[in-house]
Amino acid sequence: MYYEDMDNQAQAFAKRGVEIDLGRYIAGRFASMVIAVFLIITITFFLLHALPSGPFSSERPVPKSVIEALNEKYKLNDPLWKQYADYMKGVVSLDLGPSYRKSGVRVNDMISEGFPVSAKIGGASIIVVMLLGIPMGVMSAVKKDMWQDRAIMFVSAIGITVPSFIAASAFIYVFSSRLGWFPSYGLYSWKHMVGPVAALSGFSIAFVARLTRSSMIDVLQQDYIRTAKAKGLSNISVIYKHALKNALAPVVSYLAPMAATILTGSFVVERIFAISGMGKYFVESVTNRDYTVIMGATVFYAVLLVSFALLADIIHAFLDPRIKLGE
Amino acid sequence: MHSWTPGSNWANRGIAMEGKYKIPAEMWEPIERDEIENENKNLESKGFWSDAWIGFKRGRLAMAGLLFVAAVVFTAVLGPLFFEASMSDQNLKLTNIPPILEIYSVGGDSFVYVHREYKLIEVTRNGQISGRLYPVEDNKDERFRTYSIKGSHVKLDYSPAAKGDGEKYKLTVAGRQAFPLKKVLNKTYLFGTDNLGRDLFIRLVHGARISLTIAFAATVVNLLIGVFYGGISGLAGGRTDDIMMRFVDMASAIPMILYVILLAVVIGNGIRSIILAMGMVYWVHMARIVRGQVLSLKKKDYVASARISGATWWRIMTRHLIPNTTGPIIVAMAAMIPGAIFTEAFLSFIGLGVPSPEASWGTLASDAVDGIGLYGYQLFFPAAAICLTMMAFNFISDGARDAMDPRNGR
Amino acid sequence: MSEKLLEVKGLQTKFSTRFGEVKAVRGIDFEVERGDSIGIVGESGSGKTVTALSIMRLIEKPGIIEGGQILYRGEDLLKKSEREMENTRGKKISMVFQDPATSLNPAYTIGNQVIETIIRNTALSRLGAAMLAEELLRAAGLSESKKSMKQYPHELSTGMRQRVAIAMALSGEPDLLIADEPTSALDVTLQAKILKLFEKIKKEKELSMIIITHDLGVAAEACNKILIMYGGLIMESGDAKDVLTNPMHPYTKGLLGSVPGMRSDSGARLSAIEGSPPDPTKPVPGCPFSERCPHAMKICGLMIPKFYKTENGGRSMCHLLHENAPRHSVEELLGGGRL
Repeated sequence: MYYEDMDNQAQAFAKRGVEIDLGRYIAGRFASMVIAVFLIITITFFLLHALPSGPFSSERPVPKSVIEALNEKYKLNDPLWKQYADYMKGVVSLDLGPSYRKSGVRVNDMISEGFPVSAKIGGASIIVVMLLGIPMGVMSAVKKDMWQDRAIMFVSAIGITVPSFIAASAFIYVFSSRLGWFPSYGLYSWKHMVGPVAALSGFSIAFVARLTRSSMIDVLQQDYIRTAKAKGLSNISVIYKHALKNALAPVVSYLAPMAATILTGSFVVERIFAISGMGKYFVESVTNRDYTVIMGATVFYAVLLVSFALLADIIHAFLDPRIKLGE
Repeated sequence: MHSWTPGSNWANRGIAMEGKYKIPAEMWEPIERDEIENENKNLESKGFWSDAWIGFKRGRLAMAGLLFVAAVVFTAVLGPLFFEASMSDQNLKLTNIPPILEIYSVGGDSFVYVHREYKLIEVTRNGQISGRLYPVEDNKDERFRTYSIKGSHVKLDYSPAAKGDGEKYKLTVAGRQAFPLKKVLNKTYLFGTDNLGRDLFIRLVHGARISLTIAFAATVVNLLIGVFYGGISGLAGGRTDDIMMRFVDMASAIPMILYVILLAVVIGNGIRSIILAMGMVYWVHMARIVRGQVLSLKKKDYVASARISGATWWRIMTRHLIPNTTGPIIVAMAAMIPGAIFTEAFLSFIGLGVPSPEASWGTLASDAVDGIGLYGYQLFFPAAAICLTMMAFNFISDGARDAMDPRNGR
Repeated sequence: MSEKLLEVKGLQTKFSTRFGEVKAVRGIDFEVERGDSIGIVGESGSGKTVTALSIMRLIEKPGIIEGGQILYRGEDLLKKSEREMENTRGKKISMVFQDPATSLNPAYTIGNQVIETIIRNTALSRLGAAMLAEELLRAAGLSESKKSMKQYPHELSTGMRQRVAIAMALSGEPDLLIADEPTSALDVTLQAKILKLFEKIKKEKELSMIIITHDLGVAAEACNKILIMYGGLIMESGDAKDVLTNPMHPYTKGLLGSVPGMRSDSGARLSAIEGSPPDPTKPVPGCPFSERCPHAMKICGLMIPKFYKTENGGRSMCHLLHENAPRHSVEELLGGGRL
């Protein structure tokens, strides 16, 4: 499955017994990041502008003159490469253009309104994933094949298969409609956060638990764990000091994909819980075919995710002493 | 905890035997030994696939998954032939009726079900739906409706609902309060109806057709592109391989779903577009696997030694290359299908799914979300279908992986 | 008579694998007296490592110690709680493992790992522990121990890592050090150095040792008593000199015959022992060596021999030493010696 592939990548990464200058390393990754983002913007741009009809021809019949005027206003009659160049200039100066559907609103505004909301929930989700997933995985590995392990594996199997929107809906049904413990829409108190965070983090908690478990199982079989026990160290010390540090590598590798999962999850979860975050704006723009917003959001997301990947790499470097700071 | 038991069970201690009996004389003769037979036991398998299938069958979960999928496919393909109604037939009189009905007796042989919207539906004793009943009097201020059912005077008072918790309505038959008689399964609409009165069971089965078709088709497209791309990358090696994989790596930095969304926006709605959109994006995973396989095969010793020992290319292909590559590919395909089902559902949720009146599991789920408080069953069935099918494919994929794992030994 | 530090009686350890039950140690007895260097010699699969791990109670699922007693200074280790064992390991009995490449934690510095051991097993403060760590590493042969302490395992050579492992094992001032194939991963020159280190430690700290090895040469150099293990049982035991020059067991004889320079009767050709080690899931009811033994008799495949005393104070588990065994076979075995 997916995580096997990632596991291999993480292992390959961790086994690199080469000493690398941290500074050069980060610079290299940063350069890759910039290129990646550039590629993405380009691809997205040409993709969206590949439509023969412009963004303003829709199902509703609109008088031609109106379309003409709009095309003029938004410079859609310029040659494609010029539009591209203009757009890139805008991106570099951090201006993502105006919204096509909501006149007078700029994409940047929508982002700055919606993102903090999404970030709050997303950030909380990431923390919950780490705080719950890792200990679950450790417990499962230590008590391998015993009832704790089986219980955790069972629960995580559910977490992995249930898609976020179903989890969200189920949450509302059980906890809001039937039990009335938590509200089902809006974001006004900590109680409002429980549902969305639960729905967003469900999958990742299960995934991290499994990842941690398999990694810990591998680590616990290593010789140096036996040495640690032979030295008379207590079981707790062996697990949490010696084993865990070595087992965390794949989890760190998962950080970037997890950010992506939570991000895409936010599209549906925000809609279901009626939260006005960036996800909701993005979905609306998709439904409305508001191209600049779609583009702008995609660019923003791309930068965000690539940053996470970079962050994960940096953490890796600190975890693995085989990569040292340049001397 | 552990103590030494003299003469313990399986270590035949000579000391304990002291003086027990005399050892017969012939015991002291040397052992006659035959030449030790060839130590290398012949472990040639009957054939890779039959072994793999046997191994697969041993996995209970995997088999359960396979059976479940087979059942779903069977229903999806053949089911609609038996349906009288079609999936898009609307019946606006019978909207939002759940699969389990709590019925009241209103005298004689008549029974009613009280709808969430405070309407009365006539039902037979064992759950067949006769039709909607219309009130004789409909008092909106005082919130009650009266009906005349086979001569009886029935009053449905729904004013308590506004007053808070507790009973939401009161049903009186000929002056006396009626209490629920029993719960019956809805025999007319197995899974209930949606907000347009459409039969949800029929829609679900049709949805199976759509969802599974999309999932399989998209996976096949991914397979083709992935094998092509990965195969070339692996065979070419060197610079070409580097560049091709770099591209894949960078593209993978962004969640695939974003691409799918963008593509769907561009290509438009419809089954074909969704298949195309998914097919154009998820092949990267397959490409990596195929490339990995090709690379490792290029290095395999046994390919070289097979050639040296004079085996024909065909034999090498069938006995070595194909079994070893298709294994991981099959596993990957089985694992991609649940992802495809999920993606389709996700797209539907966002509004990029199959257009009405066609329904996929995703659109069914999406439609159901709005009414989730009152009509939970509308979400339950499509959600269960999605989850169970995804799980079944995951089990199949895991089982296939275990079955083909050469480390499992015999 | 020296004090008996360790007495192993009837130790039985088995593993439940999916291929069947593996009885790795099938009932062995031996003693370690103060100042001894016991060598446990055998092929891989003979049960020697499992014996060592059993003494340290480091046997984990699917393995289990089934029976016997392990008396350390009179107390049965098999009856102790896990807590008590944690206090025993490192402090009273310590162990060094075979592969220096993997036996140190790659995520922490050498200093960290040694200091942690010291703090666990002595009453020293962190500062004291650091100073002691430096001392110990230097004594073990790392000349620039201060620098080494800040390094990570992967920055040191194999030989240095093994020295670190040894220093770490000794830091708690144990009475008994078990070394599992301490030199197998090293080349010959390093091997010599490590053995010399053991010499030094033995003298300076009056340390008792158990050295596990498949290499008779190592046993010859470093041990004063030798146990020969095969198929989970001890075939022969005794003073090193006696066992090596005057073996009283066909297996020992075979081992010696296959090592150049160690032939007990000079002039005989090098003879490797025929056959392969036994299948651990299908133990023979009799002597485990009977399938490969050139002197095997019918009884050998059916009954496990007694552990007979030999003339120089050692023991040998072989039916040839039974009073009824045919004379000619015995003479072949002993090469002219007598019971």
